Amino acid sequence: MIKHQTILLVAWAAVIMIAYYSCSSSHQDEQHEKAHGPLANRLRAYTDSIEYEKSSIEAMQNVKLLLAQIHDTVSALLPERTAVIRSYPCNNCHTQPLAQLSQGTKADKKKSHWDIEIIHGSEEVMNCQTCHNEKNMNELVSLTGSVIVFNESYKQCRQCHTTQYTDWVGGSHGKRLGGWMPPRIMNTCVSCHDPHKPAFASRWPSRLNTSSLTE
Amino acid sequence: MEPVHPQQNQNTGCQSGNCSCGKKREDGFEQVMSKPTDRRDALKKLTLGLLTGVGFASTSCSVTAGDTKTEKARLNWEEFFKGNYQLMTVDEKESTVKRLERLYELNNGRKINVSAQGPMKDVLYGYAFNISKCQGYMDCVNACVQENNQDRNSQMQYIRIHEHQNGSMDFELADDNFYHEVPAAGHFYIGTQCFHCENPPCVEVCPVKATWKEKDGIVVVDYDWCIGCRYCMAACPYDGRRFNWATPEVPMEEVNNNQHYLGNRLRKKGVMEKCTFCIQRSRNGKNPACVDACPTGARIFGNLLDPNSEIRWVLANKKVFRLKEDLGTEPKFWYFMD
Repeated sequence: MIKHQTILLVAWAAVIMIAYYSCSSSHQDEQHEKAHGPLANRLRAYTDSIEYEKSSIEAMQNVKLLLAQIHDTVSALLPERTAVIRSYPCNNCHTQPLAQLSQGTKADKKKSHWDIEIIHGSEEVMNCQTCHNEKNMNELVSLTGSVIVFNESYKQCRQCHTTQYTDWVGGSHGKRLGGWMPPRIMNTCVSCHDPHKPAFASRWPSRLNTSSLTE
Repeated sequence: MEPVHPQQNQNTGCQSGNCSCGKKREDGFEQVMSKPTDRRDALKKLTLGLLTGVGFASTSCSVTAGDTKTEKARLNWEEFFKGNYQLMTVDEKESTVKRLERLYELNNGRKINVSAQGPMKDVLYGYAFNISKCQGYMDCVNACVQENNQDRNSQMQYIRIHEHQNGSMDFELADDNFYHEVPAAGHFYIGTQCFHCENPPCVEVCPVKATWKEKDGIVVVDYDWCIGCRYCMAACPYDGRRFNWATPEVPMEEVNNNQHYLGNRLRKKGVMEKCTFCIQRSRNGKNPACVDACPTGARIFGNLLDPNSEIRWVLANKKVFRLKEDLGTEPKFWYFMD
């Protein structure tokens, strides 16, 4: 009799053990959440899209915006670029292709772009024609020769700067315009970086802390 | 090692004043007046009340005084007896900010706009700071000081930019007062401010409930309820809070007129203040002033509950960390690198 009871007890123990282990492995995710605290749980709880009472467009009434499909699933509003390029359209002056223009005498050449200095890649990698379409100066050109319009100049940059582009699409590179609410209005690459000289220069801070009060 | 507090009694019950016993919440006048008092207190209050009463009465009933003076006295009287902001009804909040606007106009001859706008539904603010982007230009600090009407005399700043040597994260060794062109070679920059913890220790320690966490996650201070004990300053592990040792001075022409009761309205001597994620801006859909001012795009702000927001993308795709995570304060302020 006692022997039977012992066997039964061992069998039950085995069943409980198996149940416990199978359960604990299926609850691993929950334990993981617990370890990351209540904030992580809160962030995971919301998956529905949220309806906002306001919109970021309200603050951007004076800027002309263009809708752009910057990724398969991501679209954003970008400020129109051609409105801020000083001497656009370029064929106001560039009536003939670059090759013909450079054939003229020295006196014909007006130094209209004297202030452009190219500090972007090496000469082996890039020259003016890498980005500018020498047949039509109103357009840019990709590495394979397809046309890129000035308003979509980010397509030009993303050919080399792929990580930065991914970060920009995601939201960790670049800046939002018009606040944090949807829809997304974003600065493009050239809003902050001069395409001819894209690095930021070092400068003095806009404020110097002359005294720090120890409280 | 657990610290031992022999004086602390676990069973203080209702005497602690911290529990909610299901009693009706008292507001303003009642909060102040319906407290049990002993003889000494009663005498003190009577004398004080008599003196202020006589003072107010003499100004308000004086035949020679003008209408504005009477109005000012009435407003000051109401201001003196107003309640904790958390306990005010919507109407009371509205009349309170109207009173502040009118008082400012009477005192300074200029109009300001004070808002009592509440939190938005389904919004929890979060912030991310890219330490590979920050170059120490300090534009954020300038924007913050101007936006939030901070004391110019004591160089009050909510944001600190710490210059670290590459290879070190020790804030003790960081330079907060760098005086040279930036970015300096071999250095990187980290900005700190109030992190708006989900579990804020500063709120725990406030003895008068003058600071609390709003529904949208912003930790705020009721400047008129704060008694200036600075417990919160001691409790904050991140040096996020500032104290007004003197009456804050802001030149009249530099005062930001777009104000919020819990945000950048003008403070007084002896109260705490801190970053509020520019509550007067963020609750209107704008970015905090520091985010808009940053020339490198190192600062990212948004709604943590919105799966399509940039801040959520950063949390999901970047390797983020927070300061002193082991304390369990759950800051809603993350750092990351490119």
